[in-house]
Amino acid sequence: MTDMEEKIDLARPVERALRLLSTMDVDVFDISASYSRSLSISLLGRGIKDAVSRTDLGMGVRVYKSRGMGVAFSQSLKPADVEMTVQRAHSFARVAQPDPYFKGIPGPAKAPEVPGLCDSEIVNLTLEEAGGFCKRMIDAVEKVHRGAMYMGGLSSNHSRGFLVTSTGVSYEAEKTSISTYIAPTFREGDDVGSSYEYDYGISLAEINFDEIGEKAAEKALEQFGSKRIESGILPLILTPDSASSLCFGLLGAISGESAVKGRTFASGCLRKQIAPEILEIDDDGTVPSAIASSTYDGEGVPRRPTRVIAKGTILTFLHNSYSAGIAGVETTGHAQRMGYRGYVGAGPSNIRVKPGDSSLDEMIEGTKMGLLVTNASFFPNMVSGEFSTTIDEGFLIENGEKKHPVKNLMVGGHILDLYRSIESISKEGRTLGRGFFFPSIKARDVKLAGR
Amino acid sequence: MRELLESIVQEGLTAGANFCEARFFEERSNSISIENGVARTLGSGILHGVGIRVIVARRWGFASTNMLTMGSARRALEDAIGGAKSIATQVGEEAEIVEAKPEVDTVSHKVKMNPEDVSPEEKVKRMLEIEKVARTYSNRVKDTFVTYRDVLTKVAVCNSFGTSIEETTPRTYAYCSVIAKEGENMQTGFEYVGNVTGYEIVDSVQPEEFSEKAAKKAVNLLGAQPPPRGTHTIVVDQRVGGLFIHEAFGHNSEGDLVFGGQSIISDKVGQKVASDLVTIMDDPTMPRNGHFVYDHEGTKAEPHLIVKDGTLVGFLHSLESAAKLGSEPKGSARAQSHHHPPIIRMSNTYVAPGYMTFEEVLEDVDHGVYLSGSQYGYVETQKGQFTCKAEEAWLIEKGELTDYLRDVAINGLTLDALKNVTAVSKDFKMEMPGTCGKGQQGMYVDAGAPHVRIEGIVVGGRR
Repeated sequence: MTDMEEKIDLARPVERALRLLSTMDVDVFDISASYSRSLSISLLGRGIKDAVSRTDLGMGVRVYKSRGMGVAFSQSLKPADVEMTVQRAHSFARVAQPDPYFKGIPGPAKAPEVPGLCDSEIVNLTLEEAGGFCKRMIDAVEKVHRGAMYMGGLSSNHSRGFLVTSTGVSYEAEKTSISTYIAPTFREGDDVGSSYEYDYGISLAEINFDEIGEKAAEKALEQFGSKRIESGILPLILTPDSASSLCFGLLGAISGESAVKGRTFASGCLRKQIAPEILEIDDDGTVPSAIASSTYDGEGVPRRPTRVIAKGTILTFLHNSYSAGIAGVETTGHAQRMGYRGYVGAGPSNIRVKPGDSSLDEMIEGTKMGLLVTNASFFPNMVSGEFSTTIDEGFLIENGEKKHPVKNLMVGGHILDLYRSIESISKEGRTLGRGFFFPSIKARDVKLAGR
Repeated sequence: MRELLESIVQEGLTAGANFCEARFFEERSNSISIENGVARTLGSGILHGVGIRVIVARRWGFASTNMLTMGSARRALEDAIGGAKSIATQVGEEAEIVEAKPEVDTVSHKVKMNPEDVSPEEKVKRMLEIEKVARTYSNRVKDTFVTYRDVLTKVAVCNSFGTSIEETTPRTYAYCSVIAKEGENMQTGFEYVGNVTGYEIVDSVQPEEFSEKAAKKAVNLLGAQPPPRGTHTIVVDQRVGGLFIHEAFGHNSEGDLVFGGQSIISDKVGQKVASDLVTIMDDPTMPRNGHFVYDHEGTKAEPHLIVKDGTLVGFLHSLESAAKLGSEPKGSARAQSHHHPPIIRMSNTYVAPGYMTFEEVLEDVDHGVYLSGSQYGYVETQKGQFTCKAEEAWLIEKGELTDYLRDVAINGLTLDALKNVTAVSKDFKMEMPGTCGKGQQGMYVDAGAPHVRIEGIVVGGRR
């Protein structure tokens, strides 16, 4: 803890808000407050561009009166501003109309602390050290090939947060995180070789800056000589970075109130098989030292491991207390709170897709004509499930071999059709932040729009 | 507050900074969310703080805090100076800026109806009226959402050139989205309004042109078909045209991306980059959503001509990019909040109108796709490859709009696309108020165009 942090008192303003709210005629309320200190280095052009440090704090209040919700937040924790924030949330709750779906907020529950969520190396990181890590990434790129122009950067964050509710929840959490990426661009005449590599985690020790730079350079060089290809229907092999967006799209569609209110393409898919039996997805917010772990979710409910998809069948939606109330089930501990702004949503934590039994090389070798997708977003329209997306980086596969990079190519379809057409899942994949695991996924017969 | 900022600037210079800028930011917002006839949530928020930027040892350092005391501001100044020194020996971009003309001014944008003067009850009543029109449009309307938001932003900038400006800007928005359902098929339609304005923009909303229109789109899209895949002639409406020019070209003209080696047009000033029909402007002085008088470096904003009759004539500049690219800053540097350093942003970006009618733009198209309404877009500036997603579309057959299409996105290579513009209409509109994301910062922008015809664009789809 730095000298500056010792002077930040979150407990007192939270107590002040609690005292005020306790005297008011309301159904329930919660108060969240957080403090964070972040450092960042940005890369642009020939290398490091600037060094930035930020100190952020604030408090949010959520009040229900006659089942109407009022929310207010402030970045000032002065007594007068705390009072105004409380008054504003209260007065807004009185104007809001009763939400027929609201059934209350969770009470207190005890859970064993998830270890390893605060790394002292990140707490004590300096901008000078952060700049040194960026230089290591740049040096690693230049070792592979000289003369790149860069975008990218490194950000670290150390935060402390409080949650107190009228139902007796009271906890404090401390967490660190670090993320970095580097995107080198090489030019040869009119041809461009450009790509990126990244990593993130709770602790500094898990980030290999040299490897990130080296991989980014190799990926960028591979993009030289990209060509347009014809429209067609081909199998796609999504590498882990593309497969992750496919998973996040589905998990977003089975999370929270949109899922239970029938507003997503997957709302009707609970307990239905949507993919071949080889697809299994677990969510676990209790993994020690993992990026999306926490002892409690955004409403103070203990995190727990959740089997989401087994044998291709969706077993559960991911709930906060609001959506669980609508579905008539217990919350699964997936409430998400965006800092101190008061609003609560729901979404996945650490996602693990179960590895399959083939390797990425075998997938490519077994493809006569297809597309290896190394960078594209398969996030669909969440209501209709339709998607139409650009292959930002990909390679044509011919006779079991990776040929040339492609450009100016789109892929479209319905996301549930894409899940149904999953043919194989790789046994190796990418672990991110010690919590996420995504393998490569091969799907057959996907429609491409090109030349 | 300006006294505190001016003191910090002086202290920064005394501490050895070659340049020092202190910026106060405050944003007060109110919002209302209506869902299926229920005013479910009312919210408000206050963001405020100070961001300090320095050049020390030819490098940039920046630090911010939300604690508005002299002590916290001093600590931020120390952090900014320490940050710049910490990277002084590392490989990278040296900080270099043009000497700016000092500006001293206070600007407050006037509104007809101050949102603070309208009670929350009255706002809720108005939004419920607007929402009801969508909800009762059809029995296929499943869900309706109407959101109201007003934001009052105050920015004060003081720097070591002697600039001391303050600008207070009100913005007001209304957004309606509708989900329509038929069997398993669900589709969405939306409409939005927003500007540098007060509550009058919401007061003047005509529900049949707003929420009913959103509901109509959602219901009609239930019967739409997927587009034909492949490379087509396209015609874009004013919103898709605005999105296209913002994404495909606007970002490439941002001076930081130009000197940073991330733009495909960095070496093309004075060269043809588009067909003769294309003139592109970015104009922060237009009274639209991207409007401001001073940018967040304190530079007075002027209109920027980027492309004239197909020839690239300039870029958008900050103090830094103007120095590095040998140009004059005209006010394009803005920051999302006190926690962010100013970076180069578009404001109100548009394709200038031509002389044709919409019918004339369509009539030469034997087979193509007409796209209407913007959903989202993005660009990889270093490669010059863009993607734009439209709300709805129609097939064009022998100059006529025929089959109704949904889920239509386009992809293209920026310079090829601009050179393949073969028609530009005279019916210009700018009605795309929104925020643009860049470098983890969101910023208020607007974009517009007339109808534009472009040959050889990839249309994605399932057919």
